Amino acid sequence: MKRLYRILVINPGSTSTKIAVFSDGEAIFSNSIKHSTDELSQFKRIIDQLNYRLQIIRKILDGNNVDLKKLDSVVGRGGLLRPIPGGTYAVNQKMLKDLNTAKRGEHASNLGGIIAHRLGKALGIPAFIVDPVVVDEMESLARISGHPTIERRSIFHALNQKAVARQAAFDLGKPYKKINLIVVHLGGGISVGCHINGRVVDVNNALDGDGPFGPERAGGLPSGQLAELCFSEKYSYEEIKKMLVGQGGIVAYLGTNDMKKIESRMKAGDAHARLIVGAMAYQVAKTVGSMAAVLKGHVDGIVLTGGLARDKEFVRLIRERISWIGRILIYPGEDEMLALAQGAMKALKNTKCVLEY
Amino acid sequence: MVRILIINPGSTSTKVAFFEDEKSVWEEKIQYSHDDLNHFSHVMDQYEMRLRDIESILDKKNLNIKSLSAVVGRGGPFRPLKSGTYEISEDVLQDIRDGNVQTEHISNIAVFLASHIAIQANIKAFFVDPVSVDEMEPVARISGIPEIQRKCLAHALNIRAVAHQASKELGKSIGELNFIAVHLGGGISICPICKGRIIDVNNANEEGPFSPERSGTLPVSSLAKLCYSGEKTYPEMKKRLVGNGGMAAYLGTNDSREVEQRIQQGDSQAKLVYQAMAYQIAKEIGAMSTVLNGKVDAILLTGGMAHSLILVGWIKKRVSFIAPIRIYPGEHEMEAMALGVLRVLRGKEKVRHYRRERT
Repeated sequence: MKRLYRILVINPGSTSTKIAVFSDGEAIFSNSIKHSTDELSQFKRIIDQLNYRLQIIRKILDGNNVDLKKLDSVVGRGGLLRPIPGGTYAVNQKMLKDLNTAKRGEHASNLGGIIAHRLGKALGIPAFIVDPVVVDEMESLARISGHPTIERRSIFHALNQKAVARQAAFDLGKPYKKINLIVVHLGGGISVGCHINGRVVDVNNALDGDGPFGPERAGGLPSGQLAELCFSEKYSYEEIKKMLVGQGGIVAYLGTNDMKKIESRMKAGDAHARLIVGAMAYQVAKTVGSMAAVLKGHVDGIVLTGGLARDKEFVRLIRERISWIGRILIYPGEDEMLALAQGAMKALKNTKCVLEY
Repeated sequence: MVRILIINPGSTSTKVAFFEDEKSVWEEKIQYSHDDLNHFSHVMDQYEMRLRDIESILDKKNLNIKSLSAVVGRGGPFRPLKSGTYEISEDVLQDIRDGNVQTEHISNIAVFLASHIAIQANIKAFFVDPVSVDEMEPVARISGIPEIQRKCLAHALNIRAVAHQASKELGKSIGELNFIAVHLGGGISICPICKGRIIDVNNANEEGPFSPERSGTLPVSSLAKLCYSGEKTYPEMKKRLVGNGGMAAYLGTNDSREVEQRIQQGDSQAKLVYQAMAYQIAKEIGAMSTVLNGKVDAILLTGGMAHSLILVGWIKKRVSFIAPIRIYPGEHEMEAMALGVLRVLRGKEKVRHYRRERT
């Protein structure tokens, strides 16, 4: 009989810690712990929250009678590490050092690897992290921007992009390592990744701003006009940063980032809302087209994922511009917990695919 | 036989040509030194000097203007206009006098020069596909923040001329075909042309691939950080984006032939940057192919760098899945203007009329 693997998943966010237990692909337990700003404000650094979060996690597991002895491994959300190829990594001392010292920056997800290590060590089972946000498989060609003082960087929704890409490859009957995919993550920011034989060789940086605008982000902008705005003395640096990330895109044009509200405005005949959503779809399609050129047109599938992939009208607008490029697959939403569990499961089934940091 | 005089004033020269039908009979260039132009505070003030020099060329060439069928002047950065060949009227002249143009530019005096000669000869004067051709769809004007609107500025004259040429070769009218036109010059313009209309373009000064002298699209957060770093003044930053950006910034030269020589000598940095330019050009072509929903009859490569076999080869291998590629190297502005006039004089295309906007 096939052995079922049982995995504990730890996903620390800025104001919550999500935990789940998976038995193979099924979540048999899950819980989302909210942390109030009051509680968190007593800690100066992210690492200072370690014991506080660990205690709550232990209490929740205990209170829900989760049998820790049956676990095969613990997996945590990967943090800000040095740029690394995607995959499942065993938590090791080097990684712990970088996470403990926040060498690459402070981020709640830094705790993921550390907590997984603590719990794993106590139980005598392996601890992993999977596809952290720093995944970087970009080709050197794609790193050139247009000016040597600025380099294009690989920062994107790696965990979800990789998880749906593997799923799509499976559904198309090909190994992920032998398939060309364009994956479009439609969230608060939008990333369009070009996956060649298991590597994301190019992707627009949804945070630093190239590619399409999203519900809250400006995406790429005309560079001369942006410089003019920066030097106009009308805006502080902080204000400009907000215009680019957080208060840009849909929310800047329409005053809300709630796509459901915008849908009903469109239905009620709001032409401006229709124009702006149309423009977002237009820019998503253009970015997909640009990635198709990276793949020289050899596209096995275009995968739409993230929350906005549920929006039928928006998906229709994208689809009519790109369906000639390749087959379109839709995996709405984003399941980080499942993605982490799958990464750990892969590692348990085949220790050869565990990467070393 | 149609006899056309063509006037093309640039920032430091005026080119004059005489065509009989499609054939260039002669072309002359009047060069101006920095000293010649220095004392003019407005470009419009150069009118008398430029006119005098054109007239002396006509004398030298023994060209009687009464024998001409039409005069055509280079179109300037007027207000946004539809593409096509326009008859020069008092409306456009008055708009330029009133400053109803996008920027002051030497090409704005071309229509005055053409008009002056046409009146004397009692013939019509035209301008063809000015740089302000703007047929962008509303959806393409949205940038990502309301403070910035995407603008339509393209190498329209050359791009449309090449689209007409390709249509002719394909045995159809421009109104039946879709193209992606790629102008490979000091700046790079890439536009989807939907049945003759330029419906989107990476504004070569602002977006799209980097080029020999321009940075193109840059990651916005990094760019904003640089703007606020206090290290650079605004004029310095502008120079970095247009003029000293792109290939010039990476490799210290804007001369693609020099870069190709360096590549042949084994300069790997030169190769990486040159390849990256081709890569970004291909990506922009891919982007524009979705604007046309993939219905593309041909991709047209033009401009000086379309002479480069390696650059064209690199672009081709990435985008030939979209449509067949046709190559029209160089830029033939004088011919493009002559052909634009011929089309309307022969009734193949309707002449457009510039009308002042009523306020």
